[in-house]
Amino acid sequence: MENNLVLTEAGKRCLQMLLKVWLDFDLAITKVPIVQRLEQQRLSVEDYQKLLINMRQQVIEGSRWISRCASSFDRHYSDVRSSVIRHAQEEHKDYLLLEADYIATGGELSTIESGNKNIGSEALHGFLMYRATQPNPVDLIGAMWIIEGLGNKMAMKWAKLINEQFSFECKATAFMEYHGENDESHLQELYQLIDRLATSDKNITDIVRTAKVVAKLYQLQLQEVDNDN
Amino acid sequence: MNVYINSTGHFLPGKAVNNDEIEDVLGLIYGKKSRLKKRILKSNGIVQRHYAINNQQQTQISNSNMAANAGVSCIEKSFIPMSKIQMLSCATSQGDLVLPGFGSMVQAALNLPEVELHTTHGICSSSMMALKAAYTNIKCDDVDNALVIASELTSRLFKSSRYEQVESNKIDFNAEFLRWMLSDGAGALLLENRQRISGKSLQINWIKSFSNADVYPVCMTVGTAKNDVNNKTWQDYETYACAEKAGALLLRQDVRLLDNIVSVGVNGFLKLISQNYVRPDEIDHVLCHFSSKYFKSKIFDMLETAGISIPEHKWYTNLYERGNTGCASIFIMIDEFINTHDLKSGETIFCMVPESGRFNCAYMHLTVAG
Repeated sequence: MENNLVLTEAGKRCLQMLLKVWLDFDLAITKVPIVQRLEQQRLSVEDYQKLLINMRQQVIEGSRWISRCASSFDRHYSDVRSSVIRHAQEEHKDYLLLEADYIATGGELSTIESGNKNIGSEALHGFLMYRATQPNPVDLIGAMWIIEGLGNKMAMKWAKLINEQFSFECKATAFMEYHGENDESHLQELYQLIDRLATSDKNITDIVRTAKVVAKLYQLQLQEVDNDN
Repeated sequence: MNVYINSTGHFLPGKAVNNDEIEDVLGLIYGKKSRLKKRILKSNGIVQRHYAINNQQQTQISNSNMAANAGVSCIEKSFIPMSKIQMLSCATSQGDLVLPGFGSMVQAALNLPEVELHTTHGICSSSMMALKAAYTNIKCDDVDNALVIASELTSRLFKSSRYEQVESNKIDFNAEFLRWMLSDGAGALLLENRQRISGKSLQINWIKSFSNADVYPVCMTVGTAKNDVNNKTWQDYETYACAEKAGALLLRQDVRLLDNIVSVGVNGFLKLISQNYVRPDEIDHVLCHFSSKYFKSKIFDMLETAGISIPEHKWYTNLYERGNTGCASIFIMIDEFINTHDLKSGETIFCMVPESGRFNCAYMHLTVAG
């Protein structure tokens, strides 16, 4: 890994705290039953399908809050806006990969298309849209940190485990793996955003706070995969 | 009450065994050379180690006698005679006897009268648990001193004959992995409530550990067969011979889970920073019981990104020359570190012992007393 990925002292302090939030989140979701089944290779095809259905709602909404987040940055943050727009552009059709994966597992397109947000997704989406509507939502860097981290975990760990467990005729883990591509450049962009925005104690506090809330709500979303609602 | 490490000692059995000689000692499984050996040794970086068994796989010295030898070497360099020791706190992953506790056997071997006795049982971090019990006992003014000893004799688990008893005839990767990682040895520390003029008194500022057994499945085991789904453990078999045949007595590492120890270790470190136990820029020396070079680079990467890395020249280890001796490693490391460094008053030492058993990670902060 390159040196000095984060250049400013405040940025480093922020990154240090974000790393702690990520590691706590990583521990917390390791205890979520469906994640335990996945990581201990006790997942059923139905489980994987359920996971995809539940994630799809959040992925679709994901592109919306990032877009709104971009539009909430005023001209003083035009550079940030450019970066966030790029991010939104790259990911706003992720759900198509996810749907193709679902079909590859033997699921029907109509089933996944008619899925609803679970309780955790409702809370997560509601919070993200609310924050993204605020003027200059600097704190959402914290949300991107958690979601980017999870994308990396899905690509590096979950996709491999799923492919070891099942042998589908067509590739059924494109969505999870996709998040591993360009991973390094995404991380670089995030580091640059941290440098750019973690410029005051207040900003750092806000970024870390939002990372914690998003982590907790994402955990809830994963917990709710096992609940039919 | 302040607590100081005032003397250290170690014992490594026999001559150093280099990588080419390992199978001369542990034996060839079914007469064949291992295909995994080279790869695992390359990744863990160990070049020599010691074994308490000879080339016929006969035990040359017991675990409790190794512990006693380390204890004697520690006390011989100290300011007090063995007879003045008030507490004996011992750690091992596997004593010579299943019962009684390891400490009882070590006490007898040392001929120590009327000590307060403590035994911890676990894997790599059990030495830190034994140390913490001794530290708190002195800190609360219950005793003036304590001898803490950690000792391991794992080579007995790695004899070729052990693997040949398994019914399936197949040796799984997870069961062979540790054969190329672990070896034997013992380390000892003397703790006192006063510093000594040796210039080598280290004040223990704190000892903390964070266990994550609630999160992860078990990663390093003796007592259960491969892929056991019924939670059947060695004593649940009709006979011990059945347990051995099922492979339930082999030492296994679930290598797939191993990566988690890195995030567990870094997470604890970040917790200590956020709670103001430690400031990375104020650490002068790091002594970390990492099991391989592979982990070393991963830990470095994550800390570096967070801007709290500790420069590589501050890291010390003797793992590659003395072997990975489980819970004894950190004491053997502290002993050699003190004796090969010209320590100055006020210098700080940060110790870290990640245990992959079920993901416990222990930390300690020391300051050279002046």
